[in-house]
Amino acid sequence: MLEYSEPVTKLIDEFKRLPGIGQKTAQRLAFHVLRMTQEEVGRFVEAMEDVKRKIVMCTVCNNLTDVEPCRFCSSTSRDRSIICVVEEPYNLVAVEKTRSYNGLYHVLHGALSPIRGLGPEDLRLANLLPRLRPENNDGVEVREVILATNPNTEGEATASYVSRLLKPLGVRVTRIAMGMPVGSDLEYVDEVTMDKALANRHEI
Amino acid sequence: MLLESVEAHQFRNLSGEVFWGQGLNIIFGENGQGKTSWLEAIYLLATTKSFRTQRPQEAIRFGESLAVVRGRVTRSRDVHRDLQVTLQGNSKSLSLNGKSETVANYLSQLHVVSFTADELEVVRGGPDARRRFLDRGVVALHHSYVQTLADYQRVIKQKNRLLQDISNSGTSIDNARELIEPWNEQITLLGSIIHRARCDYVERLQPSLQRRLFEREDVTIRYMSTLEGKGDINDYESLLRERLGLRLQAELASGYALIGPHRDDLEILLDGRDMRAYGSSGQQRSALILLDLAAISVYHLWHNEYPLFLMDDVDAELDERRIGRLLEYLRGRTQTFVTTSKGDLIKEFANNAKVFDVGEGVAVDVLRNESEKTVFTSVKGI
Repeated sequence: MLEYSEPVTKLIDEFKRLPGIGQKTAQRLAFHVLRMTQEEVGRFVEAMEDVKRKIVMCTVCNNLTDVEPCRFCSSTSRDRSIICVVEEPYNLVAVEKTRSYNGLYHVLHGALSPIRGLGPEDLRLANLLPRLRPENNDGVEVREVILATNPNTEGEATASYVSRLLKPLGVRVTRIAMGMPVGSDLEYVDEVTMDKALANRHEI
Repeated sequence: MLLESVEAHQFRNLSGEVFWGQGLNIIFGENGQGKTSWLEAIYLLATTKSFRTQRPQEAIRFGESLAVVRGRVTRSRDVHRDLQVTLQGNSKSLSLNGKSETVANYLSQLHVVSFTADELEVVRGGPDARRRFLDRGVVALHHSYVQTLADYQRVIKQKNRLLQDISNSGTSIDNARELIEPWNEQITLLGSIIHRARCDYVERLQPSLQRRLFEREDVTIRYMSTLEGKGDINDYESLLRERLGLRLQAELASGYALIGPHRDDLEILLDGRDMRAYGSSGQQRSALILLDLAAISVYHLWHNEYPLFLMDDVDAELDERRIGRLLEYLRGRTQTFVTTSKGDLIKEFANNAKVFDVGEGVAVDVLRNESEKTVFTSVKGI
């Protein structure tokens, strides 16, 4: 016999499919839904449906967007001569939050990982190389590509693979630096980060 | 560092709290009473692992859901640290001074060098046991080396899978090279760090080998890179890169990463001959002890404090004369924990040791004064 009635069980099961949600959290969320008003539930459902219906992948940079091309690619105020390559759309958001980067983006939607069965063909790379040509970039030549993949083994391998594709084209390829988080005390930095920061020190 | 006390709760058959001595601690008892389990509890506190099983959770007492081992460590006169390892289900939680802590922060609090039957693999087993011995030593000096090792192992795993995928799919060699290069680049980078760290560690161990401790035998060690004789080993990074490029075909054929420090070895020579092939069982044990003592000495030179030394079933591993030499050497250096089921050791070293009699998991400090000692030795027929 089911512990909860069928509709509740189904809802709990659906929540459990979400990343990071286990049985207990799923139960809590399901009972929260039961306490929500009909109107609140409607809003929630609509938001989920909207996202599926309206969000597409930008054909230029693969960012998730509700307009095509996305607001970065279609912007007239951004520097079109520089492209920042990231693994996921939320990585793009992290770079964007700095407000110090005003170039374009390219989202790979993943990183190389043979153990997970992910090779170059699974990354959204095909539309990166054509972008470097001025005729495909509003007449602007791309001078630099910044590789901002994650600083783990998969991210490094991806950066290395992409740089090998780009280098023959004569474009400047850079990798983001690794080191200290700003605004924290030295004592709170883990040893590995400290090590990297020491190795990448520079003269002042 | 000094381990003041250990308290065990539902960890195997152990119960109660034990207050250890500063020097030699002899854990005595019949088989199956819990001697080794006390050693295991100390090892668990230091490493969060067990030397008896891959899954320390197996040490949870049968029918119980969790086990707790607590210990108090003195780092210097007034600096105490309370360590706790809780085993439950498939998980393990660590706490330091009552606050939950990550493995990375927890680990540097208590360091042990241990001699167990398993450890003998270093002198008579395959190269992986010797690489682990070196890596353990390096980690004790440079904590961030843990991450380098983990990254390297992950890259090797990725590359192995890729090599197998490529040979199954019949990709052309040029295409294969393009796919493998990004991983080789990291093998070059991380592999060079590992090679340098291990060579440096061997160089530190070498002068610390107490060659004359047991006999005339001369034990020497040398880091043996698989790239030796293939080019200029002093420019390891370039050589590694070059070999990775040259050996791609062979790697594809075998489906495994063949080039890199994960294939290296530590050569242990006894009077110039390979210990593993030519050493007697006794000589192998002596050599391992010498390596452990050198590791202790290197740790001391670096940190200016001694790690703990653990030795299980000491009289099964070494003869009386060697035990005597060893314990004499360790006196005034490490806090030492040995287990034994024979009384001889107690008779000989009781004056400089604390002796614990283990029965049904409880360790009783039996030799607090002369009269107790007399009663104990006569009762035990020592």
